[in-house]
Amino acid sequence: MTNIELETGGSVWKLLVAEGDAVEEGQTLFILEVMKMEVPYEAPHAGTVAALHIAEGDSVAEDDLALVIQA
Amino acid sequence: MSWKPEVDEIKQRRAFALGQGGPEAVAKQHGQNRLTIRERVDQLLDPGSFEELGPVAGTPVYNEAGELVSYDPANFILGFGKVNGRRIIVGGEDFTMRGGSPSPAGLRKSVYAEDLAVQYKVPLIRLHEGSGGSVGGTSGQGPNLPGPVNAPSRFRSVAQAMATVPVATAAMGAVAGLPAGRLVASHFSVMSKSTAQIITAGPAVVERAMGEKKTKDELGGWKIHTKNGTVDNGADDESACVEEIKRFLSYMPDNVNQLAPVVECDDPTDRCEESLLEVVPRDRRVAFEMRKIIHAVFDHGSFFEMGKGYGRSQITGLARLNGQTVGVWGNDCKFLAGSMTADGAHKARRFMELCETFSFPIVTLVDEPGFMIGSQAEREATIRHGTSAVLTAAMTTVPWAAVMVRRSFGVAQAAHYGPETYVLAWPSAESGPLPVEGGVAVAFRRQIEAAPDPDAKRRELEEMLAAKQSPFPRAEALSVHDLIDPRETRPELCKWLARVQPLLPDLLGPSAFAIRP
Repeated sequence: MTNIELETGGSVWKLLVAEGDAVEEGQTLFILEVMKMEVPYEAPHAGTVAALHIAEGDSVAEDDLALVIQA
Repeated sequence: MSWKPEVDEIKQRRAFALGQGGPEAVAKQHGQNRLTIRERVDQLLDPGSFEELGPVAGTPVYNEAGELVSYDPANFILGFGKVNGRRIIVGGEDFTMRGGSPSPAGLRKSVYAEDLAVQYKVPLIRLHEGSGGSVGGTSGQGPNLPGPVNAPSRFRSVAQAMATVPVATAAMGAVAGLPAGRLVASHFSVMSKSTAQIITAGPAVVERAMGEKKTKDELGGWKIHTKNGTVDNGADDESACVEEIKRFLSYMPDNVNQLAPVVECDDPTDRCEESLLEVVPRDRRVAFEMRKIIHAVFDHGSFFEMGKGYGRSQITGLARLNGQTVGVWGNDCKFLAGSMTADGAHKARRFMELCETFSFPIVTLVDEPGFMIGSQAEREATIRHGTSAVLTAAMTTVPWAAVMVRRSFGVAQAAHYGPETYVLAWPSAESGPLPVEGGVAVAFRRQIEAAPDPDAKRRELEEMLAAKQSPFPRAEALSVHDLIDPRETRPELCKWLARVQPLLPDLLGPSAFAIRP
């Protein structure tokens, strides 16, 4: 289980996976918008999206748990 | 009659001193997963290299017959030692006695640490766990008499040490008062995440004065102090702190009169990293990983980041090019677009002052959109802290090379270029007074308002101006020294370093301005 936590606050611009999806290492999971920059978050390893805590348009804060990947 | 009785007593006193606060206090320290100061010193130093100073300083306890029955050693351990063969000064409080609050001899030894480092011109390493003065005084019997008016200022040598030798300090347990002040009076500070807290005053004092009920961790644990810049780095435990200090020291000369040690480098100077051709996305809104660029350009595995947890839009640290120490400073566009915040500017100023103090060439990887804006940034006095960084850059005398990776805008960008900087631009470089997106709305306000579809007009103008951000006019006008293939960044920087390296000996000695905490 790997928790993907947010390094900064911002808003969720694009969510590219759904709960239960299989993901590859390096696959872009979602993109935050922070100060007009798009900040992609990638899967650190292959697995399945076990839990999803964000939705497109959400305002999010630093250290928020975005999703969980089960290897 | 010989001096045998006195010699025996010297032996006895030394043996007592090694007992520290006694078996119970030592067991308690171990029970809380913390080492004693003597164990910490052993962990830091090359085996057998400790040469203790003042080992029998302390307070003897006699019985009615006038015989020595026990001995309270000074609760600060001090001496010379070697780290990877290099001589250093090491000191730290003994927390097993009086909770590290100085005893009379302990205080004398603790303030001697900086004097020694300045006198012998070798690095100073402090391993702190202790508190400041007590209303009971160092004797425990009542307030001490204040020192005479002509006593030297206690903090002068603390400041002098920072202008003379590398100073690295670790917080190993709770650190408060004077030790906390000395902790941050360092070129590099690190705290143990599992055992340390740093507090100006502890929970009891805080509750009495302010009615605020907080634990030591809530007041000054690593989650607070690695994010506000009190310490540069956090490390998992005591031994990780020691490793961080050893790593920091490996980049440093012994003092400001010497050049940094050069290590053997097996990473070719002409290595071109293929990934750099596409590391910056063509879409200007998409962020990238500046740390990947840093790792690709400098000697393999040589980047030592300092202050990762605070001022996060700026990335600072030490690294090597062809085995030689350089200061490295990049922007992190993933954090507040890489903009210059008040704390980022403070971190950058300290970084530049470190490089200036020890004559390290500076390499910047520039992606600076400008000062942070908005009401919070105004409340933080961003323009004052930012301008402090800009003027610090302008006053440096060390050689600079700047790689324009992407954006270089506003007054804030000026902090990333020292005098006579050698400037290389990547094709992705953009520069100007302010980024197109912010500037268009202001400069073309009337045109946009008069258009039938103002939004469309604004976008049209933004796209038109962005298209003019071609890299070539910069090189045509010699506004940069060269426009380069990003893959050639390492070879070009190594060539630059070989050219400026012969200039470094002239820069040695005390700097025109000293580093401040």
